[in-house]
Amino acid sequence: MIDDATAAYIVENRKCFEDLKQVASQLAGLLVLAAAGSKEAAPEHPMLGAARELFREADDALRRARPTERARRHYDYLARAAVSIGIALSEADGVLNVDRILIPLRAGYTELERAADALPGFEKVAYERACCGGGRVQ
Amino acid sequence: MSAYSLWVMEYAAVPNYPQSGLIYGMHNQGTRKLPYCYVVIKGQGQLAMVDVGYNHKAHGEVLANTYGVRGWHSPREVLGEIGIQPEDVSNIFITHAHFDHMGNIEDFPNATFYIQERELSKWVWTMSLERRFRWLMLGIDPADIMRAVDLARQGRLVCVDGDRENVLPGIDLHAAFDTHTWGSMYVTVRNDLAANSQSSFVFCGDLAYGYENLRGHDPKDPEYIPIGLATGSQFGVIMAAEAMVKSVGGDVHRVIPPHEERLKDLYPSRITKAGLRITELALADGEKSQVV
Repeated sequence: MIDDATAAYIVENRKCFEDLKQVASQLAGLLVLAAAGSKEAAPEHPMLGAARELFREADDALRRARPTERARRHYDYLARAAVSIGIALSEADGVLNVDRILIPLRAGYTELERAADALPGFEKVAYERACCGGGRVQ
Repeated sequence: MSAYSLWVMEYAAVPNYPQSGLIYGMHNQGTRKLPYCYVVIKGQGQLAMVDVGYNHKAHGEVLANTYGVRGWHSPREVLGEIGIQPEDVSNIFITHAHFDHMGNIEDFPNATFYIQERELSKWVWTMSLERRFRWLMLGIDPADIMRAVDLARQGRLVCVDGDRENVLPGIDLHAAFDTHTWGSMYVTVRNDLAANSQSSFVFCGDLAYGYENLRGHDPKDPEYIPIGLATGSQFGVIMAAEAMVKSVGGDVHRVIPPHEERLKDLYPSRITKAGLRITELALADGEKSQVV
């Protein structure tokens, strides 16, 4: 059972979670292109700028968050995710070294997965918009 | 003569899936079973698959509790029913990047994966858009993208640009851009290895969920009806259906939708102890049946 204060925390911090997930996806996407040898992958790729801006917003939101006791574990996962993803982003400055970026990125995403499992309302994949979404149990 | 044995392997299912999600326009017309399957292609010294299913560790609980997906079993269990281990699989063709088709990459440590370059590059482009465009990211798991990075670093990711013939003997990849997804593809197996094959099968991924997509509701008066979900266009889906049906000489039952439960009415099959169906489409010369 989720209490009202925790429910409010979930609503307020869903965007932060989604933004961190988006930043991780953006970085991973660039890494796929780089690892596959695509010419599109470069440190000046506009998506990196977008990722940095989004990360700033998520980081600010995280600082403002006030987790309840029930939400504390979720918040800790989210905070650790932000630290690791921030490191991955800073590693992307200058040159796209896949290995140096991927290690903290994967660590950050693992924390996001843990956060998704720690409280309801945080989905790793937008299942309701995927093929299986039509089968949602009422 | 059959060059390849072909099996459709069920690995999970949704018992009651709304028809409207599968066949455009079938609103308020009840539900049907939606099996989740991948395809095994064995012969010519090759062991290949079309798609690999989803990663239960990452998604299983949510899919089971929230979306009613039942009976997930690992590739080791599923493939073991026909005497195959995941480590034996050498080539895997990913029809599109949705998590339930490419989510289990890491269970196949020795395979090379083929995917359309456009499928990856357009997802990456989509990720650069603002949040209000997030519907376009449907079905994509960021963890799968990271696994794809690993594949690329290991030289096990082949980005295909459009059609590619004879990727393995008698096996062709066909692009179906801007349809179910940006860079969907379907796989043709010319099972007599002839250029103008008389015994082709097409593995269509999610370009069709059921036979209604390929022949409409009245087989005597066939028409194409698009699927219930397209990131690209329904026009593209219909034109892809035409290309697939033409490539099998008009015999729609040689187009194999992996989510089609009624394959069992067309081809021999059996149910495993785990309650999953194995459907046998063809047997290579000298190969023993796995369903009789």
